[in-house]
Amino acid sequence: MRTNLRIYLAGVKTALASRMAYRGDYFLSILIMLLVEMAAPLITILIYENGASFPGWSMYEALLIQGVFLLGKGIAYPFFFGIVWNTVERVRGGAFDLLMIKPKSALFMAIVTGFDAEDLGKLIGGATLFTLALRRLPPPGVGEWLQFLALFLITLLTLFAYGVTLAGIGIVWIGNIRVYDIFNSLTNFGLYPAAIFSKPVQTVITGIIPIAILGSVPATVLLGRPSPGTWRAVGVSFLFLAGSLSFWRAMLKKYTSAGG
Amino acid sequence: MLSRSGAGKRISHLVNVLKATALSSYKEWAAYRNQMAVSVFVGPVFFLTQMFIWRAVYATRTTLNGLTLEEMLTYYGITAVIGYLTYDSADWNLQWLVRTGGFLTFMLRPVSHCFYAFAEKVGHRLLALLVEVLPIYVIFYFVFKIKLIPAAPSWALLSLALSFILVFLTNYCIGLSAFWLTRTEGLRRAFLTLRDLSAGMLIPLTFFSEGMQKVLFYLPFQFITYAPIRVFIGHYELAGITLPIPQVVALQFLAVVLMFLLSRILWYFGIKRFTGVGA
Repeated sequence: MRTNLRIYLAGVKTALASRMAYRGDYFLSILIMLLVEMAAPLITILIYENGASFPGWSMYEALLIQGVFLLGKGIAYPFFFGIVWNTVERVRGGAFDLLMIKPKSALFMAIVTGFDAEDLGKLIGGATLFTLALRRLPPPGVGEWLQFLALFLITLLTLFAYGVTLAGIGIVWIGNIRVYDIFNSLTNFGLYPAAIFSKPVQTVITGIIPIAILGSVPATVLLGRPSPGTWRAVGVSFLFLAGSLSFWRAMLKKYTSAGG
Repeated sequence: MLSRSGAGKRISHLVNVLKATALSSYKEWAAYRNQMAVSVFVGPVFFLTQMFIWRAVYATRTTLNGLTLEEMLTYYGITAVIGYLTYDSADWNLQWLVRTGGFLTFMLRPVSHCFYAFAEKVGHRLLALLVEVLPIYVIFYFVFKIKLIPAAPSWALLSLALSFILVFLTNYCIGLSAFWLTRTEGLRRAFLTLRDLSAGMLIPLTFFSEGMQKVLFYLPFQFITYAPIRVFIGHYELAGITLPIPQVVALQFLAVVLMFLLSRILWYFGIKRFTGVGA
């Protein structure tokens, strides 16, 4: 474990050093990442400022859901979601072989070499929105915080599972960086209270594809009114994680080393 | 007479370059048509989210900022179609060429890079018309029942064409900044975010405060998406100003001319800084 951590930190150090070659652009990128992530909250604010609302949700409750979603993404994108672009680019360029010959698993090496320094802006943005929204709401109790932390850990595991799945797709669907678009379009549902969607959509995003777990489910626990189907969402997330790892292994077997 | 024939030859040469480059770009990207076809899934899924959001918002009202639910969904439907029609990567391409030194080869060609890049975009978007735009249009029309039929087709087409050129020119200006900054990823993202926001791609501009609407009115970005959508719908209003459609299109044309001049100025100063570093 300690060795793995040391290897990971070496990867982080290398990625940061490399990005610092253009530090002006880097800091601007961090700032922009922060602003880009604020698009959905801005729409929410504009909707509420124009006198409209999501029925049954105050502005800060809706923003808390988005804060949780963006916080999760903010942790995932820099620290482990880089496996997606890293795998896609390496498979296309033929450099994925280099990960296969290392004395560590290819998945771990894809995470280590996929640290994305720019995406730290997402983390700052998510943490800021989460804190700002929470400060405008009644403070949650200790029990609610504990439940939230447990669910948020599952949110991160689910995001990891999405990353592994998309990276697995990248092994066979050569060079298609648009897997990010597919991910973003699907998980866009997670930015809003699950209750505003129709019943069939709620069932899909809670009990079939783990999307509500990315924002709505953990946030509602913090608000003291847990979403119906929370346990089902947790179960589906674990199944999805197991499925994604199996999928990765299956895709790895299909890797033909034909890039370059 | 001589000069007229010279101009004719020049135009004919440009048309030939446009055709040849667009065709080669079309063929090149046809190899990656599956990547483009992802939009047929992504576009409608994004739209589906919008549909649920706005249905929830309109649950307790019939209009919001003068728009009914149907008009709001039409707004987002047209936004998606315009987005796919005018999508552009001239900024990224140019900064990549400058950074890697590949731009050097363009200095040796008897064609301006700007025109070449525009022709590439024409080919790329012609393919997108078949692979992305038409399927999405059909899905919106038949699945979501969004009737994307312009109020005045000829004005809407003209407005779309101007938007197509304006997106290219604004992006090209951002790409030109690579002559100063070499790596422009941050600036590019900043610009795209601000552009999309002030063009009305994320939300109709009438949702912004009165003061902000006045600022947005004088920026060229509204002519990328907001103005074409308004032309499509058949009535224009922003910051309390109502304009007839021909006037909106005329202003859009003016924005294109101004952006072209800006791109020429940036080129004039930027090209002097090009050293071929990275080649």
